[in-house]
Order: sequence, then C-alpha cells, then structure tokens
Amino acid sequence: MTDRPCILVPIRVLDGESIPDGVPELLANAYVVLLGYHVVPDQTATGQAKMQFEERANARLDKYESILRDAGATVERRLVFTHDGQKTLDRISDEHDCLAVLVPNGTRPPEEVLVAVRGTAGVSRIAEAVAGLFSSTDVAVTLYHVTETNETDDDIETFLNGVRDRMTELGMDASAVDTRTDTEQKRLGAIATAAEEYDALVMGESDPSLTTFVFGMPAEQIADRFHGPVFVVQREASESS
Amino acid sequence: MGDKPVGPEPTGRNVDGEAPVEQPETVTDEAIVHDEETELERTIGLVGGLAIGIGTMIGAGIFVFPGLAASTAGPAASLSFAIGGGIALLVALPTAELATAMPRSGGGYYFISRGLGTAAGAIVGLGLWLGLVFAAAFYLVGLGHYATAVLAEAGVELGVDPVVAIGLLFGLALTALSIGGTENTAKLQNGVVGALLVVLTVFLTYGVLDAFGAFGGQNTPEAFFSQGTFPVLTTAALVFTSYLGFAQVATVAGEIKDPGRNLPLAMIGSVLVVTVFYVVTIFVATSAFGADRLGTFGETAMVEVAREFLGLPGAVAILFAGLLATFSSANASILSASRAVYALSRDALLPRRASEVNLRFGTPHVALFAAGGPILVLIATGRVELLAEVASFLHLVMYGLICVALVVLRRRNPTWYTPSYRVPGYPAVPAVGAVASFGLIAFMQPASIVVGAVLMVLSYLWYRYYASGVTLKGAL
Repeated sequence: MTDRPCILVPIRVLDGESIPDGVPELLANAYVVLLGYHVVPDQTATGQAKMQFEERANARLDKYESILRDAGATVERRLVFTHDGQKTLDRISDEHDCLAVLVPNGTRPPEEVLVAVRGTAGVSRIAEAVAGLFSSTDVAVTLYHVTETNETDDDIETFLNGVRDRMTELGMDASAVDTRTDTEQKRLGAIATAAEEYDALVMGESDPSLTTFVFGMPAEQIADRFHGPVFVVQREASESS
Repeated sequence: MGDKPVGPEPTGRNVDGEAPVEQPETVTDEAIVHDEETELERTIGLVGGLAIGIGTMIGAGIFVFPGLAASTAGPAASLSFAIGGGIALLVALPTAELATAMPRSGGGYYFISRGLGTAAGAIVGLGLWLGLVFAAAFYLVGLGHYATAVLAEAGVELGVDPVVAIGLLFGLALTALSIGGTENTAKLQNGVVGALLVVLTVFLTYGVLDAFGAFGGQNTPEAFFSQGTFPVLTTAALVFTSYLGFAQVATVAGEIKDPGRNLPLAMIGSVLVVTVFYVVTIFVATSAFGADRLGTFGETAMVEVAREFLGLPGAVAILFAGLLATFSSANASILSASRAVYALSRDALLPRRASEVNLRFGTPHVALFAAGGPILVLIATGRVELLAEVASFLHLVMYGLICVALVVLRRRNPTWYTPSYRVPGYPAVPAVGAVASFGLIAFMQPASIVVGAVLMVLSYLWYRYYASGVTLKGAL
C-alpha cells in the first residue's frame, strides 16, 4: 500500500500540550494532520484570540511539525481558534477523511502495539490504519478481543484470523501479528489494563462521533489507567453522519 | 455559500502606527480562513443566535416599560410597541442581507464602515459601543428596581433607595464574571431565554383569556387613544430600546455557523417573537388595570399585574423572570459592547491594546472594562428614561445608516458583495427603514437628542485625531 494513513493529531497548542516522546516514531509512516487548536471562552471573539496568540501558536506548531517530519511523517497543519474544541476536531477530521485520531500521550519508541477489535464493523479501517502505520516497521501488533457472552471460541478465532489476514493483505508481516483474548466483564477496563503492557493502543470508535470518545467518558476511563498514546479509528464518514 | 472574499482590503495607519488587521482569504459555513492556514471556527447555531437576539430584547419591553409606556400613551402603548417592532423589522431585513454578505464580527459597525467609509464607521462604531453601554446601564437600573421589589416582597425595609446601589453591584458582578468568567455563558443564556419564554407564555395565555372574560373577571374598558395619538409616537421612541437586540446577533456574525441561513433567521425571527410578546404583554397589562393605574406602578408594574391574576405565586414568578430577563439583557449587552471594541481595534480605530486577551482567563479584559466602567458611571445617574433614549438614539442612527449602506453597496455593487439573502421589496424596504429610524429620533426628549448628538460629535473628533489615515472602504 502506497497511501499513507491519514492520522489527525490534535494539540491544545497554547495549553501546554505538545508532541510527547515516542509519538513521532509512532507516526513515521503516517500522513499527519497536525491540528493546533485553542479553545476560547464565549465572551472572547475568536478573532481576538487570533490577533494575540497566532504568532506564538505558529511558532510552537513549527517546532512540532519539524519533529514529525524528521521522524518521517508527511505533515499538513492547521491552526484553529474555536469556542468548541469537539466541533473543530470533527470538522477537520471530516475534511481530511482521517482514518484515526491520536490522543498523543508520551511513550517509549514503539515496539509493541495493542489493537482492540470488537465486531466486524470498522475492522477494515482498523486494519488499514495498523498496516499503514506499522507494516514497514519492526513493531509487533497484538490483536485483542474481549469475549462477549454469546460468542464461542471458534467464532473469535475465525474473526481474529480474518482481521490478521486482512492486515497481511495490506502488507503486514504475518509473524508480527499476534492475538490475545480476555473474558473480563468490563470491556474498556480490560482494554486499559491490557494496554499497560504495550507502547500504544489502537481501538475503534465506540460512538457515532469519534471525538465524543476523545473527550468523553470512555476516553477518561482509558486515560486514567493507560497513559500511552491511543489511536481512535474513525468510522467511515458515511457511517458517522 | 462557498469560499469567497468578504470585504474590501482596509489600508492606512492610525496615530500609533497600527494598521488594520488584514482580511481573511475565505469565509465558509464552518470557519473563517486566514492565510497561513489559521482558521476561526464558527460555533454558534441558530438556537444560539436566536437566544442572543431574544435574550437581549425580551427584558426591557416586558419588565421595565409597561408602566412607563401606559402612563404616557394609554392602552395605545401596545400600538407603540407594534410600531417599534415594525421599524425593527424594516431594519432587520437589510441588516440580514448585509450580514450574509459580510459575516464578520462587528455587526452594524462593520457594514457601515465598509459601505460608507471610515468616518461614518468610526461614528457608528463608537456609537454602538456607547449605545450598548447606555442600554446595559438601563437594563441594570431595571434590575435594581426588580431586586428592590423582591426585597420589599420579602418584607425587608431599607432606609435608602437601593435601586442604584443594587444596579451598581450587579454591574460590577457582571463585569467581573465576564472577565474571570465561566466557559459556558452561551449555554447559560440559552437556558435563561428558554425558561423566560415558558414563564411568559403561561402567564400571557392566562392574561389574554382573562382579558376576554374567560374567568368572569371584570375588565377595565377605556378609550384606546386615551392620551391622543402623538404620545403613541413618543412612546414608540422611548420603548424602541426594547428592540436593540437583533443587531447584536450581527456583532457575533463571524462566529455563527452557516451564516447565509442562520443570520437572517435569527435576526428576523427574534424581532418577530419579541414583538408578539411585547404587544400581548401590554394588551394584558392594560386590560388588567387600565392604563392610568398601571402607570402608577412604575418600573415593576408587571409584578402587580401578575399579583392581580395569580396572587403571590404569580408575583414571585414574575419577579424572578424579571431578574433573569434584565440580567440576561445586561449580560448580552456587555458582551456585545466588548465585541464592538474588538472590531474597532482590529480596524485600528482604537488602540490594539483595547482588544488584548487576558492570559489567565482568555477573556478580553480591557474591552470588558471599557464596557463595564462607563456602565457603572451611568447606573449611578439612575435616570431610566434618559438612559433608554440615548441608547435608542445611538442605535437608531446606526440602523438608519445600515439601510443607507445597503442601498449604497447595491448601487456600487463591488465584486465581493454577494449576499446569499436578499432583502425583499428593495429599494422600498431599506428606504422606509432609514426614514423610520431617523424619523423616530424626532420624537425623543430634547435632552436625549442633545446627549446623543454630543456623543456622535466626540466620536467624529476622535476619528479625526486618531485614525484619519485609515481607509476601510474599498476603492471603486
């Protein structure tokens, strides 16, 4: 596959968020949309914030852009002043048809990545993102599934093998893809716990809007326990609208 | 609406050597895009736009003016409100067209400075700021009356008249709140407006039924024009302050989603909603007591009307609604005034420092002080009618010039002028709108006209001194 997967990397550029260690390596093969955004209160006109902060924000984005480029990523950047960070993320992600959004937490240089898969919906996009990001690297991928009550072991094996085959078709080395299952009751908790042994987490969007995940409850649950970077693979634009 | 330029490129420098900030390259339904890929997200939807318009307007006409208006115009006061609403609508239509052509922050100031040139823009822009300052002071004095009535209802006796003191207190609190402020003032405003409309609808429905004798109560029939026809017009001039909200929607035009659709709907919709509420309120109020007796109740007449219908719970509900409404109007005016200061400083008509954003809170503290400070001074005067009329005067000048700017822009037809909404009945509607706006000024008290005119002259002198080198209107 020659196309690089489009990954949205949102940074609250004036609130001390930055590109943490390990993240540039993670994005080496990505087409990164670097979104610097700044949320201003309702009583401030967005243009007013722009007048004052644009220069500073651009200086920081310059730095992050070159860090990502040096790691090998293709970078496009946007700077947005907004009252509503979520709306901005949704819009930019839609405009670029991004495959995933990265919650950019710090990590060591990536060696092992956990990929949480649930049902068939969205799995091909997850495979596309994982293969695009890691097929040409030494990163080992573990497909992870939390068993639900009405599933048999055979079902799961068939499903996970299907995902692995899809990744292999897209260029992943079959030996670099492992599988793992768990039978815990709470799926998100199980994922967060499992992810602690890995350098990064890839998971599907659990909500119609990708970014409700980033800002909403599940994200908090994951972030509470897993402090590494999380790729949230978006549904297709047609599915989410 | 696709990508397109939204105005002429401003040029020149002011006394401090500051040039106007450059124009954005493109404006879309979702964002304003400047070069170097900086964007301003549009985040206010139709509901938010309506809440700004209705929230600013719904206070004064219902909670401050019924008593004052009834005492001067009699039952025909409801006609005064209808006239005010009609004029507001005649101006709202052209404003909507201009706003879809130039969906940028600054509202009326922005349209006039681009259509009629920098001098007119400076007079109107400073006038808009001062007009909002006067309006906010007026709302806060009204709030003081309501808070005083609450204290009276609770049986608290104060030795001194607390109206001005309470107004000052709330003025101070509002300024502090917007500077240190919460993140979600817009959501709060939406909630307040929704709650208000519900309370008022229940109350007015009951009142209208009662006025037609549904509950067997006794009406107070009287001559409609009990004070003659002339006071109807002077009252219309006075109560026009109740309609100073729809243009506030245009001051945040740069932040409204899908502006081609939402700006006209929010402006025209809010005028229509508010006009209906006002006319019905006055009808109900004068039916309940008769205009003369209503007049003796002063600024909190509606409390007595509610007490007459629904007893103490009614009075309490209306007191609460009155506090909410005047608070929300004052809050919206302070925020709009600070947007006006920002628009002026962006165009180098005020020092750039005026729109500086506070690092800690992310709020424009200088602009908010520039609104809050003068408001406190004006509250201290406690002159309800004068404050209301000066606010009306400054806005009416702007409204008239908006209509003129529309005609001028249509005739010059510059390439960037491509509104997605076009005013019906051109050129009659803007022409009548301009004549009506300027005409209403003639019915004001001389004192208000003098104060307003002096403020305009001072604004012009400021422009001559500070920014005569700045050109905001594009070359032909």
